[in-house]
Amino acid sequence: MKVIEAKIVVLGSQGVGKTSLVVRYIGKMFSKHISPTIGASFFTCNISVEDSRVKLQVWDTAGQERFRSMAPMYYRNANAALLVFDISSAASFAAIKGWVKELQSNVPEPMVVSVVGNKCDLAECRAVPRAEAAQYAASIGAQYAETSALHDQGIDQVFLSTATSLLKMSTSNGAIRSYDSADGDSDRVPTGSPTEETATHTGKVELPAWSIDSVAHGELQKSMCC
Amino acid sequence: MSFASKMPSLRIDQSDLKCKNGCDYFGNPQWQGYCSKCHREQMMRQRRAEKASTNPSATLPKPEQKKPERGLKLSSHSSFSKFEEKRLRQSETLKKANLLKFSVFKKSSSDDHDHTPEKRPPEFKIPAMVFEGMKHDFRARFPALAPQVDRDARVFVHSFIMDVIKCANVMTVDELSERVQRQYQRFMKHMDTSPHFGNVDSDTKELLLDFVEKHAMTYLHELPSVVFSPSGTDDERLDRAMSERIQQLSWVGERHLECKLDRNSAACRQLLYKAISELLGMDSAMSPGGKLARVRRCCRHVLALCGAPASADDLLPALIFTVLKANPPRLVSNINFVTRFCNAQRLMTGEGGYYFTNLCCAVSFIENLTAESLNMDKKEFDCYMAMPASIGGSAWAAALSLCGCAREAEEQLAAAQALLREARDVQAQAQAVHDNAATFEEQIVKKVQDVLSKTPLEIKPRRELPQFGKFKSSAKPLIDLEPSVVPKETNPEPSDQALAQTGTSVQQPLIDYKDPPIDHKETEAEQPRIDSRVPIALPAPPLTTKDQKEQQILTVDTSSTEPEKLNILGFEVIDRPSPKSPQNLDQNWDLKQTSSLELLTPSLLGFTPFDSRSIDELMTPDEFVSDHLAPGLSNINYDIDLSDFSGDNSLAEDAPKAKDPFSPDGIKKFDPFAPQPSTFAETLEKFNEFSLVDAKTNRPYDPFEIVHRNTDPFSAGLAVTLPQQTTDPFSPQQKEGTSILDDNNSPTAACLLPSPLLPQSSGKPA
Repeated sequence: MKVIEAKIVVLGSQGVGKTSLVVRYIGKMFSKHISPTIGASFFTCNISVEDSRVKLQVWDTAGQERFRSMAPMYYRNANAALLVFDISSAASFAAIKGWVKELQSNVPEPMVVSVVGNKCDLAECRAVPRAEAAQYAASIGAQYAETSALHDQGIDQVFLSTATSLLKMSTSNGAIRSYDSADGDSDRVPTGSPTEETATHTGKVELPAWSIDSVAHGELQKSMCC
Repeated sequence: MSFASKMPSLRIDQSDLKCKNGCDYFGNPQWQGYCSKCHREQMMRQRRAEKASTNPSATLPKPEQKKPERGLKLSSHSSFSKFEEKRLRQSETLKKANLLKFSVFKKSSSDDHDHTPEKRPPEFKIPAMVFEGMKHDFRARFPALAPQVDRDARVFVHSFIMDVIKCANVMTVDELSERVQRQYQRFMKHMDTSPHFGNVDSDTKELLLDFVEKHAMTYLHELPSVVFSPSGTDDERLDRAMSERIQQLSWVGERHLECKLDRNSAACRQLLYKAISELLGMDSAMSPGGKLARVRRCCRHVLALCGAPASADDLLPALIFTVLKANPPRLVSNINFVTRFCNAQRLMTGEGGYYFTNLCCAVSFIENLTAESLNMDKKEFDCYMAMPASIGGSAWAAALSLCGCAREAEEQLAAAQALLREARDVQAQAQAVHDNAATFEEQIVKKVQDVLSKTPLEIKPRRELPQFGKFKSSAKPLIDLEPSVVPKETNPEPSDQALAQTGTSVQQPLIDYKDPPIDHKETEAEQPRIDSRVPIALPAPPLTTKDQKEQQILTVDTSSTEPEKLNILGFEVIDRPSPKSPQNLDQNWDLKQTSSLELLTPSLLGFTPFDSRSIDELMTPDEFVSDHLAPGLSNINYDIDLSDFSGDNSLAEDAPKAKDPFSPDGIKKFDPFAPQPSTFAETLEKFNEFSLVDAKTNRPYDPFEIVHRNTDPFSAGLAVTLPQQTTDPFSPQQKEGTSILDDNNSPTAACLLPSPLLPQSSGKPA
């Protein structure tokens, strides 16, 4: 059986119900005997898709605006992102767009993105039309789902579809860590981390010192002769 | 090899100890090899230079500056005395350790005073201790894995460490970090491809990787400035800056961070205290994995602090608050160390990774903390920041120190309770012992009583009376004795009465009785000659004596108890005299008569005292002599024994058991006896029967010896208990009177004389 391990980060503005979503899902996991680790902010769960298993590590993030700048630490090396907004809050939907841009610029690896409109039970005060959200999701290549953490609607589907996409992605490019092919790690680990930049920098410093300068000197002398 | 390489490194030249400035004072590695004076000057110069440089965030590391500055930091004032102390101690010890190695490396590296730690001896060797520890740890953690795996792991760790040390000289930290990550991946690949790891599942492989990482990095961590706050980075400076920053922010409270913490809740304080302890412990953990574990535990406490289910929205502010209150030592260095050298796979995923990310976020938040991020007015924020660090946060510091005190108090309380429990246990045990002793005493008493009650039969009266009479009678013409009995009966009664009248007169009878024992001895001397005859002769008198006793008893019962007592006294007297010096035979005769009467009575009267003493008496004939009451009876036996012995054998000890001789005789006459008891009982009940008994005097031998016989059977089973039995039977006799006598007769068959006699008889017949 193929097992893939994926990190999924939950992003969104404060108060859109990220935590409720996660807690609701964890609660179900409990009843289904899938072991979550401690706390609602981080947990792992196994989702069986077809004949494979997806081990999801769900990282919840703090939604407060003042912690916004810390987000890159969370979504670094994430394989999937749940972008949660409140359908009754247009601002939260706008924030999603900001998140998408940030992810696109900061995360080089392919990433499964799901746009989730939460609080669909508040349909009467809906501020974000479903069609608009779906269209936007499609435009960025993301899935779209509407959920209600309060009524526990659609949450399963969100995670399941994410897992399915992750599985598809892992078979296509192997960027996700899988027990069958550990090669993905070596490709992924150095990328996107500050270490790469500094490494290239120092490399440049060293190379001229040893080779390029001397070579250049030689050429100069030749040219002088001519 | 190791010696050759190490010895010179440890030997320090005198000149090496001198100050680097060349003044004649000694230098100190803690002061970069300067003496204290030059070092201070150097420091001043450096600080001035630092102030001059307008950009304090210059990333250029100043290695010479590091140590003194850290010292400064350590001495910085703190409002949070307890944690501060702990932190200081930690960093102090670590610093010392680092400096020690530092100096060693310095000396060994080269003659020039180059302090760059990258320069280490080319023949650098990893101490074997590392691998010993690995071996032990491996066995403890992976007992199921093949030794080949262990060897692979050790080989890898060795190459890993050597590689890192080699590269540390020429690489920047980030290159080194990447190299280390490559090493981890190499090991992973090795595990995937090597046949040794064929049967190792993926989880165990990860554990193995952690294991390798732990041991390699633990060793490398101890090396100064290689992987932990390595040279070429400004980790240490950042550490200091962070520490100062946190101190400056000590006024930040829970309300600024909008986290739900209740300072007044003891549970909350406890959790925060634990979280802070874990966070502080991160610095003391050596391996990235260990540090991560600390962070994980810390965050779990923080999560518990937030209440369940805690979301990231709660976790991060609470964690920030915890970090602010903890002000962990070398925080930046630790974070960088983990970031660089922890297995990236684990750092990026997993619970530890998540919490570590949160910690990084917290640190980053603290670094960039502004008025907006606290949702407060810029001016107010500036005011807070301007005030001395020692003022802020006093409330929480107090709460936490309170928590520490409470914790201590709890521990003390627990210890006190444990002590109390122990004391209670001891008390209970003492009580148990006491009860045990009491019950034991009770049991003993009960047993004694049981034995006393179990031992029926009135052995003594029969023995004493018949024996006494027999002996005395046997001393001289047996036949004569029988007739004499009649006079005895008449005489003794008056004598008893006389005794009763004068209570003090008891002594006199004693004396008199003493005489008779002597007589007994004489008679014994005569008896031995007769030997077998004696017993035969004896029985006759006993019968007579019994008759007499019966008669007396009857009289006593009818008359009053007083005469009985007198009789008892008489018995005592009889006992004593027996051992004592002999006197005239004639007197003895008279005495015998009296004694016989007395014996009869005493048996009835002095039961209780008799019993107790009788037991002792049974033990040895000598005791009988000493005893006051029982002696009469015992004496009789004793005397008999002596006579027998003197006659039969020279055996001194056996002599007391002279009864044995009787027993053989008894055995012969035993058969007749068995039938007799019934007749006896009948006769006893009726006074007339005495006459019958007298008539039986022809048979008297039989009853007498029967008694002995009885003793024999007893000897087998009742040897010990006999005395008591004898006593018991007496008591009933006293109460019942004639009927008792009957009982005596019946028991005689079984229990009577035997007690003293039994052992003797058994021994001799055997």
